Amino acid sequence: MIMTHPGLPAAWGLVVIGGMVILLLWAVITPLPGTAGAAVYSLARVPLLRGLVRQLLASPGILLGLKLLFVALFLLIIYAGLFGNPIPERNIATVLTWNIWWAGLIFSVFFLGTAWCAVCPWDTLAQWLVRRRLWKLAEPNNSLNLRVPRLLRTIWPALFMFIALTWLELGLGITTNPYATAAVSLLMVVMATSSLAIFERKAFCRYFCPVGRTVGFYSQLAPVELRPVDVQTCSDCKTLECYYGDNDTEPCPTWLVMGRLKQNSYCTSCGNCVRSCPHDNVAWRLRSPSVEAVQDARPRHDEAWFMIGLLALTGFHGLSMMPFWEGWMSDLARILKDSGQLLVSFTLGMFGSMAAVVLVYTLFVLLTRRLVGKTVPFWRQFATLAFVALPLAFAYHLAHNLNHLIREGAGLTAVLENPLGTGLAPLSMMEKHARHFDMLISQQTLFAIQAGLMVFGFWIAVQIVRHRGRVLLADSGQTGGWRLLPMLGFVVLMTGFHLWLLSQPMIMRM
Amino acid sequence: MKNLVQFVIACCLLLVMAPLSAHHVLGRPAYSLNEDSNTPPSMQMETQIGDYFVTYMVYPAFPRAGEPGRINLYASRVDGGEPFSGEVTFRVRDDAWFGGGEPEVLGVQAPDDNVFRQGFVFSNDGDYIIRAEFQADGEPYQLDFPLRIGQPSPVGPITVAVVVLLLVLIGANLYQRKRLQRDRIRAAHKDECSNSAGEGGAS
Repeated sequence: MIMTHPGLPAAWGLVVIGGMVILLLWAVITPLPGTAGAAVYSLARVPLLRGLVRQLLASPGILLGLKLLFVALFLLIIYAGLFGNPIPERNIATVLTWNIWWAGLIFSVFFLGTAWCAVCPWDTLAQWLVRRRLWKLAEPNNSLNLRVPRLLRTIWPALFMFIALTWLELGLGITTNPYATAAVSLLMVVMATSSLAIFERKAFCRYFCPVGRTVGFYSQLAPVELRPVDVQTCSDCKTLECYYGDNDTEPCPTWLVMGRLKQNSYCTSCGNCVRSCPHDNVAWRLRSPSVEAVQDARPRHDEAWFMIGLLALTGFHGLSMMPFWEGWMSDLARILKDSGQLLVSFTLGMFGSMAAVVLVYTLFVLLTRRLVGKTVPFWRQFATLAFVALPLAFAYHLAHNLNHLIREGAGLTAVLENPLGTGLAPLSMMEKHARHFDMLISQQTLFAIQAGLMVFGFWIAVQIVRHRGRVLLADSGQTGGWRLLPMLGFVVLMTGFHLWLLSQPMIMRM
Repeated sequence: MKNLVQFVIACCLLLVMAPLSAHHVLGRPAYSLNEDSNTPPSMQMETQIGDYFVTYMVYPAFPRAGEPGRINLYASRVDGGEPFSGEVTFRVRDDAWFGGGEPEVLGVQAPDDNVFRQGFVFSNDGDYIIRAEFQADGEPYQLDFPLRIGQPSPVGPITVAVVVLLLVLIGANLYQRKRLQRDRIRAAHKDECSNSAGEGGAS
């Protein structure tokens, strides 16, 4: 038998559809927006909060304490995975990694942007092993400091790593294997350390890390950003400590210059710029969650593919947890004469579903191009409109992960009491069902949040189409928002697909 | 009141689901416990090959060397669910990276209540591949599945990680020292040249 979580009820689906219709009508009726400066509110101006945020970033103690905590948990995961009980629901390695961290990580982006990267244990361990310092600048930094080959200086490696991680997670099923979870954790540390020992700065974080880049791109939709307090001060700055570092602080790990920073995508929230700025000119600020994806972020070809890849992979995560996916795999396995873990069928299904999203997106870009005009090259239109994938992927990712977090997170207390699961048998059906009902919030609240997230994603996606579309129309010498209708159609189609996925029963992870 | 309603629903579900076994995903192992006994858990996996759905169970879930274990296999047609009634040959081979060796026949089993039962005792811990072979509709079917005897070595991944890290860190360190030495020699050469040029100019 397969145990499943119930899907979003039809009533909530209708609420989402109602919201979509209203927003769509608004988008069609109202004229396209002009360029307007977005409102931001610097936390550096809030008297009490300023001190707290500043202390958090500038004081080595707090950040180091958090890093130590996460490294300790990470080492516990590796130890428990290798030496503990192989039953997934009894071992902290699988429960903490996949049910809590992997599902909850996306929520940290929603509130704190790229804060996870600041305490990431992969990078912390790599830093300690290579720099041989717990904190502060290491001189020499014990790295070969080679430049990353030009071919790899894109976000393609991170996309391939994310695809590989998805395959390991959903195809090979490492989510239910504590030993494999520990082995992959070790592999990530080896890769981060090797990259830090060979390449300059933190090339792993910037180009290779699938988690960091996913967090980074989703952070375009976060309500917080690390930016200059006064832009003019940065313009007048000749020393660029934020980029080069100073006597005590390492340079920006991902080659960012604060004065020119327009997007969160590559910021790791490490706080080096805050500590090194001699003018005390870098601070966190609050903003509209849509402003970066809507207008600030610069379209780039490789980044566009990453964003479309995110959309395809988040949809695929949901698809592969639907009971009917089993039927599809079974039919495909019959044709291919596949057996065992059905990995050939799974791999084909995964790449097929990813290709479908890319093809559908390309088709809608081509349709838009017919109406907007062919003055602007196709690849520029492809890259510019790709931002629309971000809120669609993010909203569905949050809504989907909420199911895991709320319905499967109940086992955490039990594994914290016995992290290795020593002497424990698998959960009985009675215990599984008891956990199933032991939700952190009520089911109706969960459905309401999921519905709200779908409308939120749709709303931002519509805004992106209107803002980015206006730029394309202006470049083509065209007017008339109706020319963007195909892209709005894409937003409706993908939101509809995600809504349908959410309304299906979902297979429990463990 | 809400908790009571949830409890009643849970009890109703349990009544319906109690006779059923573990939470299954096609091609993934699942561990289950017989709730009516104190026996160790079993490992089950559902998969398919050609026109047959195959369920196999390994008991105990984590067999050890020198201790008897059992494989139960059940095969039924994808269309119609008719159980397979021929004979199944079970073979085993070592899945070691080096020198796996030839497969050995564990036994040929006829169905017992539609289930093919194969006992085993392994003398050594390790990774093995069990192959279940049968003929149906004139076609040969071969299904391989892994069987772990004893706990996997926790030292393996740690050793590999430590060795790779040491190689990278020591390699980078040696290379950097060499580079620094080279730079120092170059700088010394430069100083020497500029000094000799200065002396030459002065004379």
